[in-house]
Amino acid sequence: MTTGRRTAEERLSRLLVMLPWLMEQGEVPLADVARRYGMSEADVARDLELAAMCGLPPFVDEMIDVFIDEGTVFVGIPRLFTRPLRLTAPEGFALVAAGRAAMQLPGADPGGPLGRGLDKLAAALGDDAVVVDLPIAPGVAATIEELRAAITTAARLRVEYWTPSRDEVSARTITPRRVFNDRGEWYVVADDARSGERRTFRVDRIESLEPTGEHGQLEPVPAAVAERDWFADAGLRRVTLRLQPPARWVVERYPVDDVVERRGGVVDATFPVASERWLERLLVRLGPDVEVRAPREWRTLGADVARRVLARYAGSGSGE
Amino acid sequence: MAGVDRVERLTNLLALLLETSRPLTLVEIAGELAGQYTGKESTRRAAFERDKAALREIGVPIDTTVLTGGQAGVSGYWIDRDRYELTDLHLEPDEMRALQVAVAAVRPTQGRQALWKLGLDTIEGDAAGDVAVTATVPELPGLPALRDASARRHTVTFPYRAKHRRVDPYGLLLRAGFWYVVGHDHEHGEVRTYRVDRIEGDVTVDEAATFDRPPGIDVRAAFPSDPKELGGSDAAAVAVVRVDPMRAAGVERELGPDRVVARGGDGAIDVAVPCANVPAFRSWVLGLLDHAVVLGPADVRAAVVDWLTSMVTA
Repeated sequence: MTTGRRTAEERLSRLLVMLPWLMEQGEVPLADVARRYGMSEADVARDLELAAMCGLPPFVDEMIDVFIDEGTVFVGIPRLFTRPLRLTAPEGFALVAAGRAAMQLPGADPGGPLGRGLDKLAAALGDDAVVVDLPIAPGVAATIEELRAAITTAARLRVEYWTPSRDEVSARTITPRRVFNDRGEWYVVADDARSGERRTFRVDRIESLEPTGEHGQLEPVPAAVAERDWFADAGLRRVTLRLQPPARWVVERYPVDDVVERRGGVVDATFPVASERWLERLLVRLGPDVEVRAPREWRTLGADVARRVLARYAGSGSGE
Repeated sequence: MAGVDRVERLTNLLALLLETSRPLTLVEIAGELAGQYTGKESTRRAAFERDKAALREIGVPIDTTVLTGGQAGVSGYWIDRDRYELTDLHLEPDEMRALQVAVAAVRPTQGRQALWKLGLDTIEGDAAGDVAVTATVPELPGLPALRDASARRHTVTFPYRAKHRRVDPYGLLLRAGFWYVVGHDHEHGEVRTYRVDRIEGDVTVDEAATFDRPPGIDVRAAFPSDPKELGGSDAAAVAVVRVDPMRAAGVERELGPDRVVARGGDGAIDVAVPCANVPAFRSWVLGLLDHAVVLGPADVRAAVVDWLTSMVTA
């Protein structure tokens, strides 16, 4: 539903998609028009009545033959605006990108209706080489297939899930609701029996999966909530890192509260810390290119982790 | 105000420019649309320019020409109906449905308006399993212009890292959450890849400059999807890594069973991992913390040990 004042551009642009459709239909209940175009009935009526008054000599008042009677819109012989306005660049991009992304989803069929529809779209919009790459790791595809099947019947699954913040594998019972890809990672939104909450899990961290034979209630597909949104929690602890140029990518990869530029491409950046394990993993990967500035108790965390990992390399060359 | 609703005036102007068989001057337009462009010449001109900009804003292609003959030097305006109207895509019902599902799965901001133009409506998220598996596609201001220029083979310019780039855009690639434009960079004379979110301003399409896309350009191959394979003298180089039982299942799923070279009785596995790009390999293996150890080759193992040692002694 549109609220507030609508600009002349918005109103005209909406009229230009509405009129060709109405001309094809002939008559449509006003309520259906309003619902389809996300407008109030009053706004639809006002704009259509205004369109009916438009015209050029000698066809003043006759150019667009539309009237509303007892809650139904009637459209007569079309003279103008019989075809919709061409797609704008953003609209064309929206269709192409959505289509190409959907073609990469598991189960898509290149020779199927979407592939054919996209070929027709490319013929009209030009061959553009827009490529959406959604790689699926070898073992993840099968898991996604099983999750997808479970969603359609609200099947409860027993899974073993690796939790990076505790670095441990635990057994859970989940009812999957939605699978999505965000920034190259696959996630499943599921009802978690243990916490009684809806949680987002990384598909590649599901170690094993089997049906329990039980089913939950079927529900509407929920919104996608990617892992990075969890960092938005204001209650999380913060760490300030001094990053040398080779480590600067961290600022783009993870949510960051604050970035202070220093000389020579060095930055001091403050991050929310989802878990100490996350920080350990980050520090050991960045090695000499990072230094913990604050808080004090994490200043030696990197060296502690390095020592722990090095212990695996002690002794013989085979690592045993 | 002249008492005419702006939407009415815009609609009339649009109708007039679509219907005319020859370019019309502002004086002729004001004459046809009696009482709608009134006042002094400068007032009329300002109102007309605002309306012309509004029509272009919603995607109406308005052509302009400078007239000759009796009205030499005066601008004339018209709309080419073939360019104005949406080409009929002749979509079959199942193809329409597939596009609706794709838009429902990805939810682009302009998706609904685009579907309306195709005579379709959006379908809701609870239309069952069709949209239970989806993907997020980031939206950036430069993308529509880059796609359009790539499709019409026009050169673009954009500011990037404080320099003005002139690029023939061969294609766009979305990988791991980032959009890249792959194209021929005029200044460097070679194919380069730019991150679209790092473009520091508007993408300008040069309507005067066109290019031919060389055959066999594969945007996907602009750079390897696995950074561990990137660079180095031997792209096929592999290291063998022993992974603890606790992380073994996850690593095997990530790399695939083909990469497992040995299985221990306790559930540990040895995997062969690309290591041409040593920093990317090191980053991957250290992400496993003390649940993994590099067995060989010796130089790769030594590089990881040196890295860790430098952290302890720093």
